[in-house]
Amino acid sequence: MAVSEEAILRSELRWTIVVTGTITVIMVAILYAGIVHHINPPSNIETVDPKTLHLTGEFTEENLGTSIDAGGQITARMVATQFAFQPQCILLPANKRVTLRFASPDVIHGILVTGTNVNTMIVPGYVSQVHTVFTRTGDLLMPCHEYCGLGHSQMWATVRVVPEAEFKPDGSGRALCDAR
Amino acid sequence: MKPADLDDLDRPWRTWASLIIGGMLAFSIVMGFVVIPVVQGYGAGIDPFTAICRAVGLVPGSPSTRQPTSAAKAEPTTQVAWSTQLLRTLSRPTDMGAVVAEGCVACHGQRGIASDPQNPNLAGQSAVAIYKQLHDYKTGSRANDIMTPIAQTLEENQIRAVSVHFAAANRRSLDPTTAEVVDEDIVRLVERGDPARALPACNSCHGFSAGGPIETPTLSHQNREYLARQLRAFRDSSRRNDIYTRMRSVSAKLTDREINRLAEFYATTLQY
Repeated sequence: MAVSEEAILRSELRWTIVVTGTITVIMVAILYAGIVHHINPPSNIETVDPKTLHLTGEFTEENLGTSIDAGGQITARMVATQFAFQPQCILLPANKRVTLRFASPDVIHGILVTGTNVNTMIVPGYVSQVHTVFTRTGDLLMPCHEYCGLGHSQMWATVRVVPEAEFKPDGSGRALCDAR
Repeated sequence: MKPADLDDLDRPWRTWASLIIGGMLAFSIVMGFVVIPVVQGYGAGIDPFTAICRAVGLVPGSPSTRQPTSAAKAEPTTQVAWSTQLLRTLSRPTDMGAVVAEGCVACHGQRGIASDPQNPNLAGQSAVAIYKQLHDYKTGSRANDIMTPIAQTLEENQIRAVSVHFAAANRRSLDPTTAEVVDEDIVRLVERGDPARALPACNSCHGFSAGGPIETPTLSHQNREYLARQLRAFRDSSRRNDIYTRMRSVSAKLTDREINRLAEFYATTLQY
């Protein structure tokens, strides 16, 4: 039984309307997130030499952890190395925009902060950067989620989120957990 | 219908589909790389050109957030930086090695096996590990009353040569009758670590061909007194030439008993 040309056309148009509607909804959602909430894809193309990471300024051992710069921007820097994070705990305030910066001197690692949408790979040669706002206080577990070697399953750190009033950086703008 | 008729029937669909897809692509490029970055950058006080460059991926950072800066000076725990060329020289034996090694025999033994258990055995140790420690003594990253002045007299190529020399020596032979039977929890620490304390297994770095940081020494056939003393030095941070506090943070979590038993395990084990 042959279907008439007109019937095919009607069916195709119906489906075109459905597809166009779906794509429009997705596009509007992306535009809304971008313009109103200032959300971006979590990409950051920034290179760093993994061989000399420990000799450079920013990811030198003493500079790791949370610090506030003159403009009030809160940045936590962390190195993921086989088989530990350094420092093993970072202190951050709740309900404030914070920036997390990670680098690796050896192999590919990855992190996620449980209960949040913070999730990134840490690739040697690049700085991984995430901007976020933590809304829940407490000790959040941050495991390595990219197999990095035999010690991978023991590699985790803590993100200690405290209420804004309890977040008191010292005179040099640095804030550290008690534990190393 | 003839094929030509079908073609006529399809043409408007093809044209419109191409136009719509092309239009959406152009719209997305303009929105994603120009409009949204500029709007976001305006809110964050970032100029439009920088915002567009960040969105495209030409410069680091996000168009909606100021990029953090760091004025920190480098305070390296060690000056050693591994390069392919350096690692290659550490696998090549030279005649110079045996000559330089004559200055080491008094404490480290004729064949790199120390008579005083306070001193480390060098025989069979990885050349990369010996090189890093000598280099660290030379630059002051690690300090020892005897080793610092010795290392300071050595040239870079002498350090490389002597490292390769001792790496090639045969390791201390172990007496099976003195092998310590150690507690189950110590063996577990060596082989599996302790996830609750974020303690990686010792062997994940220190086992033979285990992976992990390249400069990690092998521990079996080492002297127990030396091993225990180094773990304590890391724990109280009197020794701090471990890159990114790898050993300082591990040893800080160990108890006195664990340190003693781990040293005993590695000094006597026949397994590795």
